[in-house]
Amino acid sequence: MLPINHAIWVQIATGKKPIRGDNLAINMLAQKNKLSYEKDPSPANVKQLVENTHLFFTKYEAVFAADFAKILH
Amino acid sequence: MHETVNSRLESIPDVQSAIASGEPLFLAGSRAALAQLPKGNWVGGTIPYFMTEEGGQLSEDRIFVTRVKEFAIETHAADYGPEELAHLYADAPEQGITFLILPFGTAIHTAFAQKASSFDGFLLKPIVGWVAGVRVDLIGKEQPAVFNGKTGAVFEDRCVALHVTLPANLQASLDIINIFESDGGALLRFEERSFHVGKCLVDGKSVDFARYITDQNIHTEFPLVGDYNGSSINVSIQAVDAAHGKVDLYAPVVPGVDYHFAKPVYDYSEAFANAIAKGDACPDFACNCILNYLYGKLEGKKTGHITGPITFGEIAHLLLNQTMVRLYLHDIG
Repeated sequence: MLPINHAIWVQIATGKKPIRGDNLAINMLAQKNKLSYEKDPSPANVKQLVENTHLFFTKYEAVFAADFAKILH
Repeated sequence: MHETVNSRLESIPDVQSAIASGEPLFLAGSRAALAQLPKGNWVGGTIPYFMTEEGGQLSEDRIFVTRVKEFAIETHAADYGPEELAHLYADAPEQGITFLILPFGTAIHTAFAQKASSFDGFLLKPIVGWVAGVRVDLIGKEQPAVFNGKTGAVFEDRCVALHVTLPANLQASLDIINIFESDGGALLRFEERSFHVGKCLVDGKSVDFARYITDQNIHTEFPLVGDYNGSSINVSIQAVDAAHGKVDLYAPVVPGVDYHFAKPVYDYSEAFANAIAKGDACPDFACNCILNYLYGKLEGKKTGHITGPITFGEIAHLLLNQTMVRLYLHDIG
């Protein structure tokens, strides 16, 4: 998995990297990130969203490998 | 893919035997059926409708059983009130799956629907389950209930959970089969997360939602479809009161989500069969919605090869409506 300081995690966590697929959990994560960032774009919240997003991708790396590859390429 | 199929409709004596042998079980059945079970490592909830291998059926003397012994290394039955949902997530195993049942129309039902996504552990600790109900002719006369088999307690105002710790080689994922899709018509947005709607935005214009539904002659057996980045998340209409400008929903609408009404579906059984890929493995657990059962006239009909309880709401991380939920356990080596 890409390290947590990679720029892509901020893009995913803030909704700046579009995510659209058919994986329920990934889509729910993206939706939660988007709504949270719109409500609170503070650096502290972005940091928390990044940490949560990285944790999610790390946890499901084996099961959602194909879906993650499309997002992280 | 882990290939164990653990779920089926069983007789009460068979379930009693399984409990006596110490098996951890996740159960769905009528109140009368569940009340006949001894204490043990199980949780259950009331619902008498099931999708079986023979088709949809109402049964008050059999119980739908999900056996978890083959994949669980540890299980823990627990119950939670509306103010204790954070504990549900705290108790859920880091490496596992939590089966959850909420009694319909209660504060715990509302609290989960409103707050699930806000808890630490959301998505990271997968939660699958359903909403307990009653025979439809008894709605308003009999209360849905959930059972904590470990203590023997029966609740109408708390939820029950079976936390299942999985071995390191197994990982749970949840998916949904939604036969509904956007009709491509007006875009609806809502300003509050709520089960009850007065006004909403239709193509950017504030309107009385109940009047809009009435004036547009919208068929409310078809749900609102929310777009979650490509996943369609339904919200079903419970009641429309045009005189008082109020629409009641079976799940809350969420601000910031784009909604459309669904395109009509005329043959639910065929729609499910078409939506479920023939090569799909049997899930380790599945459930489907009572509204699909009733509106789709699924009694005696199948939904592909998928079986499970027919419920008053489905849970796949969030509360869902008019949706088939599937749990898969993946062998990741």
